Amino acid sequence: MSDSSLLIVLSTLSTGLIMGAIFSLVAAGVTIVYGCVWLPNASNGQFFLLAALVVWTFTLSFGWSSLAASLAVIVLGVLLAVVLELVLIRRLYNAPNRNVAYFVVTLGLTQILSGIFSLTYAKWSDQFSVPPVIEGITMLGPFPISNNRLLAMVVSLGVLGLLFALLRYHPYGRALRAVFQNREAAALRGVNVRAIYRLSFVLGSTIIFLGGILFAFAYSFDLSVAWTMSITAFAIMIVGGPGSVLGALVVGMTFGFTQAIVSIFASPTVAMFSYLGAMLIMLLFQPNGLFKR
Amino acid sequence: MKLLEVSGLSKSFGGVAALANVVGHSIEGETLGMIGPNGSGKTTFVNVVSGHVRADRGTLTFAGVNIARMRPHQLAEVGLCRTYQAVRVFSELSTRQNIENARLLLEDRGLGAAEVRELTEWLRLDRNLDKQAGSLTLFEQRRLELLMRLVLKPRLIMLDEPVGGLAVTEVNEMITLLQELKARCSLFVIEHTMRVIRELADRVMVLIAGEKVADGPPSEILQNQRVIDEYLGNAAHA
Amino acid sequence: MTSHSQYGIAAATLVILALPFLLAGNRFLGFVLGMTLISLLWATGMNLLSGFVGLMPLMFAGIAGIAGYAMVYFTRTAGWSFWLAMPVASLLAAIIGVALGLPALRLKGFYFTLCSLVIQSVLTLAFIFFPKFTNGDTGINEIAPPDWFGGTALTGVRFDFALAVAAVAGILFSTWLTQTHLGKKFVAVREDDVLAESIGIDVVRTRITAFFIVSLYAGIGGCFYSAYVGFISPRAFDVLVSLNIWLFVTFGGRGTLLGPIIGTAILAPIPFLLQDLQAFKDILSGTLIILVTLLMPGGIYGAWLKLLSRKRGREVQTTQVREQGV
Repeated sequence: MSDSSLLIVLSTLSTGLIMGAIFSLVAAGVTIVYGCVWLPNASNGQFFLLAALVVWTFTLSFGWSSLAASLAVIVLGVLLAVVLELVLIRRLYNAPNRNVAYFVVTLGLTQILSGIFSLTYAKWSDQFSVPPVIEGITMLGPFPISNNRLLAMVVSLGVLGLLFALLRYHPYGRALRAVFQNREAAALRGVNVRAIYRLSFVLGSTIIFLGGILFAFAYSFDLSVAWTMSITAFAIMIVGGPGSVLGALVVGMTFGFTQAIVSIFASPTVAMFSYLGAMLIMLLFQPNGLFKR
Repeated sequence: MKLLEVSGLSKSFGGVAALANVVGHSIEGETLGMIGPNGSGKTTFVNVVSGHVRADRGTLTFAGVNIARMRPHQLAEVGLCRTYQAVRVFSELSTRQNIENARLLLEDRGLGAAEVRELTEWLRLDRNLDKQAGSLTLFEQRRLELLMRLVLKPRLIMLDEPVGGLAVTEVNEMITLLQELKARCSLFVIEHTMRVIRELADRVMVLIAGEKVADGPPSEILQNQRVIDEYLGNAAHA
Repeated sequence: MTSHSQYGIAAATLVILALPFLLAGNRFLGFVLGMTLISLLWATGMNLLSGFVGLMPLMFAGIAGIAGYAMVYFTRTAGWSFWLAMPVASLLAAIIGVALGLPALRLKGFYFTLCSLVIQSVLTLAFIFFPKFTNGDTGINEIAPPDWFGGTALTGVRFDFALAVAAVAGILFSTWLTQTHLGKKFVAVREDDVLAESIGIDVVRTRITAFFIVSLYAGIGGCFYSAYVGFISPRAFDVLVSLNIWLFVTFGGRGTLLGPIIGTAILAPIPFLLQDLQAFKDILSGTLIILVTLLMPGGIYGAWLKLLSRKRGREVQTTQVREQGV
């Protein structure tokens, strides 16, 4: 194979892996919250963007180190999730048509956040990039990958692995899965369903924030990532199966590679079309997705 | 003449057989009953016959018409309808509006205003016409359910646990009402309390674990050894 | 129909028809009125689907866009009169709307909402990425206003009045619809589709018919929008527009005859009157969406009726809280 084709293959491979890992992470966050609380978070893209933007502010405006910024954003993210749960989310735990109500409420939240962003960040810059956490590049054959991006991928996959282990082995994780499957049965077995709701909302949201942080370190971005991420995450969730972290991983990686491959030939919007198409087909024929929860 | 006829009716969910080769029929003018413990497949049977679920195998006809592939609204046109275990009315609309909705099927071919008024009075809903259906008592809602079915001029009404949730005096009243209802229309009563079946049914089908285990008049069923072993005996624990 | 609604509709009709003349001196207010009237037409249409437990048709704006772009194509490229292009474009949009919406209509609740969001996104992307028809993100400008008698064009106060007539026609049509058997079937299916089917209502056919009519409203509004504003772009017909119309309906009181009128009258003029504070539009809109969902599911009209009934006692509440109707 010629050098240039090899480069293209390696570039596609690495982009696919890195993007896929981040997609999977965010989708896992979205799917946990939906699977457990029946909360489809339409504002997940805005959460993602929020985390990325705040990291930018902390590193560029405040001059903090990337690590400090990340930790700060995680902490703030958890706080935000807790406040949201208190003020907004818990009111609808027993509403009829809960999932539609949540979808609508999060659409409202999306509008609010998007409005805030246009009043603030949109005025400050068109494009945002964050200084790297670690410098340098690694050579994959003839192809250089920034260590920063590698780090993003490794952390994403690592967190996904931890999440998996949590759901399978830790008591909290098992309680979560019990509520996923049947909340009445879980309640009868002594699970504190409301606490699980709280936990899964905070956990899921924090994972989304983490995705945003990692993305900020890997790529430069603009405000439109919020919308594209939202659609991608929902598409992954629906195709992978609502509530299934494994589904989020498999489908997320697939979409990551799709994006990488498509970007060679056409604009990323074509990839977007394909995600929408996949989501549509799934909704119509197999709404439970490919993997069980 | 035979109204409902099923033969070889089978349905499985994920490998578990909810119905296995059920055979049976109902005759016009006769009240058919069906009993069985929880999980015996009664609900599945009703759902299959009323068009909510499609059977895997078997034939299903009503007055000679093949209804196996029909949706519930088509069944209503053929004269077969059902009520629900958990009572279902349009709770946000008024009683009057609920009745009007039921009259939409037959339009001009349906009952005249005088007949509807007579039915409404017989079912003692004439004082509640403007009340929101959701604010009626459970018994009143069950009566409204019956009224909405009668307006369809059905040949057979399947009643899924018609006394569920009612107080003891209301159960007595309901049984009396249903006995009077027999004059207007054939009934198929699905219940798990023997008392209701004994007082209403002319003939009973017993369903246990998806299979029809017995079929005959209530007196005969009560003597059937297998029924006693597998169901009535269990009823003591239920 | 209750006497409330009758008086309300009559009053609304008179006010709507009078407003273009009352505001004749001020073109800015006239424009705000015109935009509000188009929104009112849209809201009246969407209300047909958004009943008590109803569906949230987020693809509404996309369908309006199909009609809007088609109308421009017919008038510019084919040289048709607006008055021929508008019905044809609207019909086309309605047919496409049903075709696109059909598979989604089988789905319940959130899945329907998500599906219609996906369809809307596909439509918006199609508007952007097929520049041959739509000129992409740049949009199409200098769209001519509708032709009128004597070679003149329909502009200014006369156009505002034409919109007022269209809005009133839309309201009266939907009011009439609620009295028909079809209208009652719409309500029954929205309320409890399983029960509706049990009592003999063909749910699928009812949904398709409802969707067709709603899409007509979307399309007609879309054509008027193109001709009135004179400029269209994919942004004019994106999901935010659908969401806003839904907000007008829900805030006013969905499932009622007066709700959409109240909601649109209060909310639609705001983004225009808040000119300098445009950016707050999103925040306000989002906050209202959350408030309406959490605190006021019955909308303003619903809240007012509850208040009335509490003063007069329970019996009154029931017929007036929920009208058998749109």
